[in-house]
Amino acid sequence: MTSFRALVVLFAVLALSATARAAPPTKFFESHCTACHDADTKKGGLDLTALPFDPTNPENVALWVKVHDRVAAGEMPPKNKPRPPAADTATALKAVHDDLVAAERKAAAADGKTRLRRLTRGEYENTVRDLFDLPGLPLQIDLPPDGQVHGFDRNADALDLSHVNLAKYLEAADRVLDVAIATRPNAPKPIKQRISLANPHGFVAHVLMHGDGVLLKDKKPDPDFPPAGAHEHLDQGAHERMGSFRNGATVGLFRPEDESFSPYFNEFVAIYPGRYRLTTSLWSFQWDKGKVRPSRGTEAARLSIVQLVGDGRGGGHPSTVLGYYDAPSIDEQKHVVVTWLNPRETIGFNAASLAHAHTRGKDRAMGFTGPAVACDYFDVEGPLHDTWPPLGHKRLFGALPIVKFDPKLYPGVRPPHRTPDRQQLFMGKNKPDPVEGIWTVSSEKPLEDANKLLANFLPRAFRRPVSDTVRRLYVDRVAERLKAGDCFEVAMRWAYRAALCSPDFLYHVEPAGELDDYALACRLSYLFWNSMPDDTLAALANGGKLRKPEALRAEVDRMLADPRSQRFVEDFLGQWLKLRLIAANDPDRKLYPEFNKYLQDSMLAETHAYFRELVDKNLTADYLVRSDFATLNGRLAAHYNLPPVSGTQVRRVQLPPGTPRGGFLAQAAVLKVTANGTTTSPVPRGAFVLDRFLGQPPSPPPPNVPAVEPDVRGAVTIREQLDKHRTNAACASCHTKMDPPGFALEEFDVIGGHRTRYRSLGTGDPAPRGNIDPFIGIGFKLGPKVDASGALPDGRKFAGFAEFQALLAADRDALATNLVKQFAVYGTGRGVSFADRDEVTAIVAAANKNGGGTRTLLYELVQSKLFRAR
Amino acid sequence: MRTILAALALFGTVAADDKKPSKPERFTYRVTGLFAPDREKVLRDAFAELTDFKLIAIDFDEAEVTIEFDPAKLFPGQKPERVVELVSDKVRTATNHTFAVKPRRTVPRDKLERVTIPAAGCDCKACNLAAYEAVANVEGVYQATASFKDGRVTALFDPTKTDRAKLEEALRKKGVDLGKPKP
Repeated sequence: MTSFRALVVLFAVLALSATARAAPPTKFFESHCTACHDADTKKGGLDLTALPFDPTNPENVALWVKVHDRVAAGEMPPKNKPRPPAADTATALKAVHDDLVAAERKAAAADGKTRLRRLTRGEYENTVRDLFDLPGLPLQIDLPPDGQVHGFDRNADALDLSHVNLAKYLEAADRVLDVAIATRPNAPKPIKQRISLANPHGFVAHVLMHGDGVLLKDKKPDPDFPPAGAHEHLDQGAHERMGSFRNGATVGLFRPEDESFSPYFNEFVAIYPGRYRLTTSLWSFQWDKGKVRPSRGTEAARLSIVQLVGDGRGGGHPSTVLGYYDAPSIDEQKHVVVTWLNPRETIGFNAASLAHAHTRGKDRAMGFTGPAVACDYFDVEGPLHDTWPPLGHKRLFGALPIVKFDPKLYPGVRPPHRTPDRQQLFMGKNKPDPVEGIWTVSSEKPLEDANKLLANFLPRAFRRPVSDTVRRLYVDRVAERLKAGDCFEVAMRWAYRAALCSPDFLYHVEPAGELDDYALACRLSYLFWNSMPDDTLAALANGGKLRKPEALRAEVDRMLADPRSQRFVEDFLGQWLKLRLIAANDPDRKLYPEFNKYLQDSMLAETHAYFRELVDKNLTADYLVRSDFATLNGRLAAHYNLPPVSGTQVRRVQLPPGTPRGGFLAQAAVLKVTANGTTTSPVPRGAFVLDRFLGQPPSPPPPNVPAVEPDVRGAVTIREQLDKHRTNAACASCHTKMDPPGFALEEFDVIGGHRTRYRSLGTGDPAPRGNIDPFIGIGFKLGPKVDASGALPDGRKFAGFAEFQALLAADRDALATNLVKQFAVYGTGRGVSFADRDEVTAIVAAANKNGGGTRTLLYELVQSKLFRAR
Repeated sequence: MRTILAALALFGTVAADDKKPSKPERFTYRVTGLFAPDREKVLRDAFAELTDFKLIAIDFDEAEVTIEFDPAKLFPGQKPERVVELVSDKVRTATNHTFAVKPRRTVPRDKLERVTIPAAGCDCKACNLAAYEAVANVEGVYQATASFKDGRVTALFDPTKTDRAKLEEALRKKGVDLGKPKP
């Protein structure tokens, strides 16, 4: 029988292309593998006697990689079988390794490893924003979502292009050009507007009437609007007419935003897109039945950009958080922020750190004692223009004059279409600053100017030199449109729109083999800025200086120091750690009543700041899972039950010894995205750790295996449920690896709080309040105890998360290797292949010689062939 | 004299004779929004801004205002009843819709009744205005006051058109607590 098996293996191998395999480890398989993995037994579904080597088939390659890796890891042959001699194993592994590498290199020789890929939605938006200096123009929201491969949306396999994409690109190009092209001789006059939080259309006046807030003057109740007490105020309209909300009083709020209450400063609604300076003055106090007293500490207020589109009743308007701002006790703090606003956008306000206090008792505000956030005023100024026409216009039309279009002077010429400036929302008190007539770019020598303008624009937009032939095509387009009767601006729009929808713009154009300077500049800029190269980087590429190691390193430092690198931080972490899913579910309100949006946004800020700290301080890869510091604000410090931290801004905080925090795995954002909102499961969390931190993604679960349902009644722990699940041997093979990290993370609940007992809605003991805000009602109980102990597949045991952290952190190279892989996938737009492993190992080794820090890993990555070849 | 002026305002025409230069005339109107004596000053300040009008007198008890203006110049070709509306528009605009004018009442004072209703509420001007408007808008009420500080709302009304119960009902609908005068 043995001879027969050997014959079969030999036949299978010989049946393959002779050029595909160099030295198949037939003898090794026959001696150690085919007893279980033959056609008869086919353990684990694998029949090595009939497994061909087909490098053109990705699934086949993946299977051979798995065979290689399991033998290399010592998992095969299984522990209960005789161990093969080390030399035999090495020889066999080398044979498989060489086959895989050779096949991959051969395939890559022609077309490179990274396939042609288009810009992701995020890349597209950022590129357009940077190209035209329109930093807040929303574009990706209207583009079809990108797919994901290897956990990232940048992989060519995930970036197909459909007719829907093309239609949307055309729409987006028009929208961009509408905003970028100046349509008037001078900038619109900036408005200066002061708005009370109690402005009549902003919803706050209504709650003031009922006593969920008060008006203050000189930090005392406003005598013109006494706090609602035994009687609430009558008739909001009468108060508006009497100017109760326009007398310069400070607004003190006792309640945060909720489904029925969304404060807006919507007496200002942007008419012109542009930068606006927003100024507000905030403080906090303890309201004590009519008295203003010092507050419990710095409270938080959130400002957000609200798009007044569609039906936004009940606070349903789409919005993006502008930031969280400190409201210190009694002493007001002025906050100034310059931000981009689009037409129909206003600013929303939320007393973010407050819980939902119940002030509607019999005596309303006069019977209430609790924290409050005060807003003295909100000023808006803008649009702010340093120059006119704006930079985006200059990139399209240079210094050509903007003149009033006179049909008499240009008979038969079609002027551009203009939409009149107007305030689109009735509540907006700011009015437009219209110009009379149609103003447009004028050219005395249209084709000559078109040629010059396109010679400037196209290389910038396409991120590389553009041949005369290509440019000529665009100029010809302009000539056609001029001949057809379009004015110069409209004719040029056709060319610009075509450019913005061309493959040169929409795709990463990279030569096969080693990247040229321009492609390298793009890889760098899309890695660190998620956008196109700036002038400095483009100049280095133009001058052929980018390949010098010192120049490349200096560019990495420059780019990471630039504010645009925050896009890298957020986009990379959004995908690597799946932080994009942070709002995928809302935690159960009964089990986790302390959860709110402020906590969720603080979670994200923590993880972003922590990663930034790793890169800026060049900390080693073990810091991914363990550290003696955390990046916290006041809300998180309370959530983590750590010594108090004041304010909204996240900063580095030294952790007290013995604290179960430090590293990404103990961060609430990571713990939330790996939970389902109601309960935690070691399985997805363990799979997350294997995949995202160790680079060992587990195989998907077999079909028809139901998920383990949470038991929020508190009768059975998840471990007890899984124990039953793991009695199945087929399940156990994967769960042995997957569950232990998940068990360690059982110390943390679905919102990242540390726990020794599960929260329960059924049986259990009364729960202590801990750091939960006293105005939040607690309805949960304490259920079974958490058991966070476990054992790694190699037998090393841990009693809880801290010991697990130590075990994980000890293998720094494994963590670094995985991090490099994640960077590489993100930076190159393809998965890290088997043949890339040696390169990754070399990167880690080179980094280790220089301390092995995270930034050093990035230095080495961008210098590597892995990064610098397609 | 006031009656004559009002009758002129109500029934006469003020179309200017194109050939003769027009001249300012005096008119007395009923004014709404005078819910407390200190509102007189606010009204005076408002007329100070309305330079087309000259304020002659305010009669708080009767809730009347006498002003002087040139209707032919300000509202050429308009009938007197329309002139009142146009004057009122200007007053409302100037006072953020807290005052308005109407034609004078025609019911003699001795045919009217005054009622005082105990009421409790937030002691702010806007709440007083709200309570005032609740009763002043009831048909047949010609003058009213409201003061939560004093804990009462008063009304001068034509008993053939309304009564105390209707006024109390209007206040209740507005959210005013009745029967709890401030001690």
